[in-house]
Amino acid sequence: MDLSEAAERISRKFELQKVKIDPSEVEKKLRTLVEDFGVNLSEAEKTVSENIARDHNLAAVPAQSSEMREIGSLLPGEWVTVEGKVVGTAKPASAAIRQSGIITDTSGAIQFTAWERANAPLLEEGKWYRIESVVVDEYRGMPKLNFHKGTTITEIEKEAPVMPQMTKVADLRPGVASVKVKVVQEWEARHERILQTGIVGDESGTIKFTIWKEEDMERLEPGMVYNIFYATVDEYQGRLSITLNGAKCFPDEEAEITVGTGAATIKGVIVNVGPGSGLVRRCPVEGCNRVLSKRNYCPVHDVQDNFRNDIRIKGVLDDGTTARNILMQKDVVEAVTGLALDEAVSISQEGPLGLDDVFCRIRDAVMGRYFACSGSDLGDTFLVKDCTLLTFDKDRHTELLNQIGGELNAE
Amino acid sequence: MQSEGRFTPRYQREPARRVFAAELREASYHFKDGEDEKSPTYVLLPTGERCNRVLIIGSMTQKEKRGDQNIFYQIRVSDPTGIFFVSATSYQQEAMTQVSKIDPPAFVAVVGKPSVYETPDGRVFVSVRAESVTVVDKEMRNCWVLDTAESTLKRLESFGTTEDSKTAGEHYATNPEVYRRMVYEALAQITI
Repeated sequence: MDLSEAAERISRKFELQKVKIDPSEVEKKLRTLVEDFGVNLSEAEKTVSENIARDHNLAAVPAQSSEMREIGSLLPGEWVTVEGKVVGTAKPASAAIRQSGIITDTSGAIQFTAWERANAPLLEEGKWYRIESVVVDEYRGMPKLNFHKGTTITEIEKEAPVMPQMTKVADLRPGVASVKVKVVQEWEARHERILQTGIVGDESGTIKFTIWKEEDMERLEPGMVYNIFYATVDEYQGRLSITLNGAKCFPDEEAEITVGTGAATIKGVIVNVGPGSGLVRRCPVEGCNRVLSKRNYCPVHDVQDNFRNDIRIKGVLDDGTTARNILMQKDVVEAVTGLALDEAVSISQEGPLGLDDVFCRIRDAVMGRYFACSGSDLGDTFLVKDCTLLTFDKDRHTELLNQIGGELNAE
Repeated sequence: MQSEGRFTPRYQREPARRVFAAELREASYHFKDGEDEKSPTYVLLPTGERCNRVLIIGSMTQKEKRGDQNIFYQIRVSDPTGIFFVSATSYQQEAMTQVSKIDPPAFVAVVGKPSVYETPDGRVFVSVRAESVTVVDKEMRNCWVLDTAESTLKRLESFGTTEDSKTAGEHYATNPEVYRRMVYEALAQITI
């Protein structure tokens, strides 16, 4: 270990506490201690750290790099040493990253990132390593190990069984987790880098999954149950999803899971029929299906001469406490508005306001009305599979009248 | 699914509160949640809940077109307890064109934002700026009366226990009995 590495490490340590320290200044102080006063490097590092901490009124020096920790207990902002087994590696998405993967011990698993400039050796799957002075960072709510220049990695001889702990879908948190799930739904990929995306679930609930295109990555089979070890759980805009790149997926042909599909019924009033509702044109390219702009432009396949007509409602169902986004597709829209797609198309061609006429017809048919909608919760939107107009509940009315009437008379 | 505070908050649309005319008429305290220019403003309901948006279903009894350059409509919507004053201005084009096509009397569903005005002589006046006005039927009106009765009772039940209702206790002389009677009378007016 040389002086500049130690200096770099110290300044990074303070950067985590929002204090900018010039590494060259630190190096100068270290050099004085080591070269002029014969202090050994680790002692010098400690002394300089403590002095800087005192100068900046920082109560505690960040966790010492020598502290050996269990992976399951790591918190963002810590500076630690861990020993673990690499159970998965993934191709980095960016050239700045040399390698990313997952390392685990008996207490848990965590994702790691080796930045290109950290100059760390490539880790091999299945081997145990001791990783000294590594930073626990946080990315989108998910703890992560970041290797940097001062991180020391040594392969170690160790044979300890690491059994992944299985987590229920409903209990997932950002980080690394293992689940036993069934592939419930497969969606059309909306991005050319996506190999497969859809929904997996267990008894406790469902979650979106994504597999990015990469060598050796295979698609999951819809309807099949899988043991998925060390998947990355991400959080984006309050919603969780899992990424299977770097994870191990083993089909379990014997298993059967009754998935809690998140199917639900919500009741309320439609208080908004938003833009994008009504008649839309979809891109005819196989597997695309994107909505075209007014000039028949598809964001991926450019201008299309042809298109497929479709009708939908993007609205808000409000129960007085919560306003939820809902999406109704063709069959539901036709049933609830009484307007068939063909008819909508001819209105759009013959009506004086074209598409707006269709929009108004649909809006006027559903706005301000009480509905019970059943379907599935996709996170920020509720996909309506079936929708019924509610009627006045006479029994509830009588019940309430008697209840309040009784209370008022009693006084 | 998530409960931890560190998750990024998502934009949440303000729900449309169900409130009877007789209660909304009594509201006078309004406030802004946050310092930001775009922070939502709320009218505090006397039964103790903040309200940035309302849903009203009642009968449109009057419609008046006003203004020379900036045309707007003022409409009155009545429920079993009183009258809502609703406006549809050129800032809400959609509501304005909808109103222009409706002739009173008609059952309408109004979604809009309540606001409190002070008249020069110091009187306080609540009106609703419509975002949307749609013609509905009597069945939906009845559903709304029942729904609004339940919402009002729920607010009364938790009165004094929630933050908003404590504030309401400070600003209004809310007598739960009066509101219970209002709910009863509203329900009693539904005849089938």
